[in-house]
This record gives sequence, C-alpha cells and structure tokens, in this order.
Amino acid sequence: MNTTILSARSLSKRYGDGIALNNVDLDIAAGESVAIMGASGSGKTTLLHTLAGITSPDAGSVNYAGTEVSALNETQRSKLRREAFGFVFQAGLLIPELTAIENVALALMLNGVPRRDAEAQSAGWLAHLGLAGMEARRIGELSGGQAQRVAIVRAQVTGARIVFADEPTGALDSHTSANVMSALLAATAGRGNTLVLVTHDPTVAARCSRTLYMHDGVISLAPAAHPDATPPPVAHPVSTQDGSTFMQNQNWAGQP
Amino acid sequence: MKSTFSILWLTSRPSSGSKAVIALPAVAFALVTALLLIVLAGGLSFFTNPAQDDEFGTAGAYQMLAALAVSLMVLPILTLGGSAARLSARRRDERLSTLRLLGATAALVSVMTIVESTVIACVGVLAGVVLYVAALPAIALIPFQGQALGLDKLWLPANVLVIAAAALILLAAVSAAVGLRQVVLSPLGVRTRQTAPTVHWLRLALGGVAAVGLYAVMSTAMSSPSLAIVVVMVCGGFAGGLAVLNLMGPFVLKWLAGIGLRRAQTPVKLLAARTVLESPKAAWRQVSSLSMTSFIAVIAGTGLALISAAGESSNPAEMYLTGDMRTGVLITVVASFLLVAASAGVNQAAAVLDRRELYVSLDRLGMPRSVMDAARKRAVMSPVRLVTVGSAALAVILLFPLTGAALFFAPLSLVVIAGVLACGIGLVRLGLAASTPVLGKVLAQ
Ligand SMILES: Nc1ncnc2c1ncn2[C@@H]1O[C@H](COP(=O)(O)OP(=O)(O)O)[C@@H](O)[C@H]1O
Ligand SMILES: [Mg+2]
Repeated sequence: MNTTILSARSLSKRYGDGIALNNVDLDIAAGESVAIMGASGSGKTTLLHTLAGITSPDAGSVNYAGTEVSALNETQRSKLRREAFGFVFQAGLLIPELTAIENVALALMLNGVPRRDAEAQSAGWLAHLGLAGMEARRIGELSGGQAQRVAIVRAQVTGARIVFADEPTGALDSHTSANVMSALLAATAGRGNTLVLVTHDPTVAARCSRTLYMHDGVISLAPAAHPDATPPPVAHPVSTQDGSTFMQNQNWAGQP
Repeated sequence: MKSTFSILWLTSRPSSGSKAVIALPAVAFALVTALLLIVLAGGLSFFTNPAQDDEFGTAGAYQMLAALAVSLMVLPILTLGGSAARLSARRRDERLSTLRLLGATAALVSVMTIVESTVIACVGVLAGVVLYVAALPAIALIPFQGQALGLDKLWLPANVLVIAAAALILLAAVSAAVGLRQVVLSPLGVRTRQTAPTVHWLRLALGGVAAVGLYAVMSTAMSSPSLAIVVVMVCGGFAGGLAVLNLMGPFVLKWLAGIGLRRAQTPVKLLAARTVLESPKAAWRQVSSLSMTSFIAVIAGTGLALISAAGESSNPAEMYLTGDMRTGVLITVVASFLLVAASAGVNQAAAVLDRRELYVSLDRLGMPRSVMDAARKRAVMSPVRLVTVGSAALAVILLFPLTGAALFFAPLSLVVIAGVLACGIGLVRLGLAASTPVLGKVLAQ
C-alpha cells in the first residue's frame, strides 16, 4: 500500500504574471486519500489538473505508475485520463440529455465495453451507492447529492486507480456533503484506489488520510502532524457493505 | 459614463476563442441580406415588368410563381437572421464574469450585448448590400421569357432597399434580446430541463389525414386542361405538402431517434440519438428547410423530365413558362442549399458555445474530441438524411401520376434528383465543418 502511484517533481505553472504552481513536489501512495485545502486562487485546481494531465506544467514532471505524464501527447493523455483516472467536479457536469445509467455507461463504452455489459455494471454500481430505481432518471430529475453520487459512479466505474475530485461537496449542504463524502471514500480508498480531493470544508478534509495546504502555489503540510515531507502512515478507510465508510483520522491536526 | 464606454471598449475586443462568434453572424447576415434583396428584386421584376398576357393567364401565373418563391424564401432567410443574432448574443456569457469584476451590472452587459449584436448585423447587412450589387450582373443574365432579365429590372427602388435593410437590423436587435432572455445558463453551463419535452403522436395522425386529403384534391386537379391551373395546383400541393411535413416531422424524428437510441452501441450513436430526443422540434427546425429543398428537387426533376418527354408546346408564352419554371426552381434550390448550410454552421457554433463547460468537462474525462465532434455532427446529419429522403418520398407520393410518368419517360430525372440531394447533404456537411474550429477553441481554453 505504500508504493508511490503518483509523483510530481518541481512543478511550476504561471498564468501571465501570476504564479499558480511554484516548484511543487508531491508523492501520493496507492490507496491514500489526500485532501488539498487552501484559499481560493492558491493553485489547488491547477495542481489537480496538472497531476491529472489536463494542464501541462511550464516546468517539472508528473509520473504516474512509471509513466511520464508530461511526456505524453494530447491523445495519449486523453486515453490515460479515460482509462486510469476518474474525475468528480463541483457541479457534476453530467450530460443532461442522458439518463443516470447512460451517463455512467458512457464512461465504460468509451473504453470499448459493449453497451449491454456497460449498463449492467453501471446498474450494480448505482445500486451500491443508493441510487437503485433512479437509473432511468435524467440528470435534471436528480437532487444535487444524487447527481454527485452518479458522478462518483462515473468516475469509478471504469476501475480508475486515481480519482481526482475538485470541491465535490462544494455545492451541497452539510448533511448531503457527509453522505456524498462517504460514497466517494467507499468507492475509492475503500477499494484500495486513490483519492485526491480539493475541498474548503475541514470536516470533509478530516475524513481523508492526509491533508495538504496550498498557499500561493506552494504546498505545505499540516504544521504539527507532518514535520517532514515523507508521507505519514495512512489511515485506511473502513468500508462497509452498504457503501458507508467510517474514517478515523489521526493525522489531521487542525484548521489552517 | 466614461467608465461605461471604457468597459464596452475593453470587452468588445474579441478573445481568440470568440472570433467565430462575431465572424459567423456577420457572414450569415451578409448572406441573408444578399439573398433577401436578390429574391425581392427577382420577385418584384415580374410585377413591375409583367409578361404579355394571353388567354392562358401567363402573366398572372408568373406573378403567382414569383410571389410563391419569395414567400417560400423569406421565412428561412429571416430564421437564419434570427439564429445569427442569437449567436452573437452568446458573447454576453463570456463577458459577464469579467464585467462583474469591473463592477458592471448585468443590465448594462445585456444592453451592450444587444448593441454589439446589432452593430455586427449592420456590418453584415452593409456587406450584403454590396454582395447584392456585385451579384446583379450575373443574375441579370438569367433568362426569363426568352431574354435575359436585364440589370435595369433588378435594381430595387431605394425605399425598398432601405426598408429591407432596416427590417433585418431590427430583426437582429429583437433576436439578440430574445436570445439573451432564452439562454439562462444553469451552473451546469447548459439549459437543463427537468424532463424531456414530449411530441404528441396526434401530429402524425393529423399529418396523415392532411396528406390523404391533399392527394385527393391534387389528383382531381391534375386532369385540368389549363396549364395555369396545373401550375397553381402544383404550387398549392407544394405548400400543403410542406405543412404536412412540418406537422409530422418532429414526431417522425423523435420516433426514429428512439429506435436509434435503443440500438446505439457506440458513444457517438448514443449521444446523437439523445441529442435529437432532447428536442425533436429543434432538431426539425434545423433541417426543415432541407425538406423544402428536397421537395423542390423532386418537383423540379419531375418537371424537367416531363418537359423533355412532352416536346415543344405550340404556344410560345406557355413554352417560356415551362422553361422559366425550371430556372426559377433551380434558383430556389440553390438558395435553399446556401441557407441550410449557413444555418447549420451558425446553429452548431451557438450550440457548442452554449455547452462550453460540458464539452470542457468531457474533454477532461478523456472523451476523445473526435467522439464529441462526431456525435454533434451525427445529431444533425442523421435528421438531414432522414428529412431529405422522407420529403422526397412524400413529394413522389403526392405527385404520383406525374412522378410515375417522369420515371417512365425520362429516368434521367432520377439522376438529377439524386445529384441535387447529394449536393444539399454535402453543403450541410460543409456548414457543420465550419463550426468544428469553435469546438477546438472551446477545448483549448
Ligand atoms: N486558465 C487560466 N488562465 C489564467 N489564469 C488562471 C487560469 N487558471 C488558473 N489561473 C490563475 O492561477 C491561480 C490559481 O488558480 P486555481 O488553481 O484555479 O486556484 P484554486 O483552485 O486554488 O482556487 C489563480 O490566480 C488563477 O487566477
Ligand atoms: Mg479551484
């Protein structure tokens, strides 16, 4: 579990005069759930996009499981994102004309899974996250929390080894946010996969195994708990059959 | 006030991604203006310089045909103008975020966007007038009643010109305002509906009844000895057929897209079928002018075939009339092709911009751009194919005695029809291709 799956070295990215990433080094171990916190504009989204091969850094490199992401061309990176990564955005960004199950099945179909199998697998996952009976609903007929759970299923149905989530609970109330977070953790770290999550909510961050802080494009660790840069022992989420997850987090030391 | 103008100036310079949003409507308006003026000039020339009349009522038939052609063209022309203006109104969304930071109100942004859309339309209209003047010498060569139309008959009176231009500019302003109200973007960046809209099967039933009635009237009228009456009936059948098509079209598109959805095995087919199902009426609107083109093509093919098979008429005026009908029909078909291609480009550019955020997110998820582009094009092209073939088939049935005869006496007519329809489909593809760079730019941001 402690093998590094994603590592970034000396990442830098500027937009005009502004520095979004300033010489960032980061190692993420397989099975970890990493929360990234920080003020708006501190570079969290840019970091997430650079790690996922959406944005190219000006300098530095990203290595995913032995593959140099920054060396891939646009088509190869698109394929990598489709096959190995999953994404959950703040506003689900599901396709509104498609039903819940079609949105999920589409991710599998893009990887060449026949439609019938894709829909069967998707139905199982949707039921697992408490969405049984809602397969045929259009996205507009789902609540915000339900739509976010569909997005989580879409991100994980292909067996993505890393799920990147950018403020996935940012538009939800605290109760729904807790449910969605449970679903997200169960679907990712709960199955041995990795979660990299950006959040403004300390209670959401507290449920991840590690929290990092960004400030003006620089990463810092929680002061008390992480005096050095090596990844701390990971608290593994405990997943139950119904999809809820109980997390103890010894590492989170307080709010920024 | 000074700051208002500096904001207007700041944001009126297009970003690299939005040049198409300015260029496409301007080009569309130039095309719309030129076509409208040419159609008006051609139509009016039959009233200002009527043909010599005879016992068959030839002059009246010319004027009726001209009026029919003008009325058929005007609606698609104005529709294209409206979509062009709505496309330029999309620029508001791109500005809103910047302008909010600068302290502008949403109302100011809206007013600025309407002003800008209108200015773009003005530029397009001016270019269209130039295009009209430039095209006149070529149009003047088109023979009617045995001689070239002539430049002198095609100059529109200044007041007609000014009124037409003013009407188009007004249309642009109104459409932009309507467009601003319609495109209320949700946080998802698309117009989301709670449930898919429904298209009632009653459309199909009504359309079927109307088609049968139309057929009965047509087949009795066809036996009339007067060519003028036959012409009137053909035109009536044409207008009636279009009405039937418009009634049944959305339902048929919905029904076939439903079949396509169930059978879809690839992401492209799934997405395309759902896009059509999302709004069969909108899908129909986008291709309905092609149904007219297809309809005209069948009638033209039939007419050409019968003329060549029947030999020369003894009455010279009537002889000219049949030849001139062929000319008029060909002109109408060419203009329709241009309109369909232009509106496919403009509507698709608008659709891509409407869904900017969704396309960006799909790109991030790793959906290949080729899949997005293919799905988008298929959602237009499959109705196009359907409408082309379906309308042609309906025209064949409605004119059955004539089309049957044409098929027997002159199979060449079939080749003409097929060629004309293939051209139409090719042109729509070209129009769609013009919107592909917009997707590329949206994704590159
Ligand atoms: N596409 C872009 N163009 C220009 N500037 C950008 C772009 N994306 C991000 N930035 C800038 O980079 C900085 C970091 O942004 P971001 O990573 O989105 O921050 P966060 O997600 O922490 O709010 C900000 O100053 C932002 O304005
Ligand atoms: Mg962000």
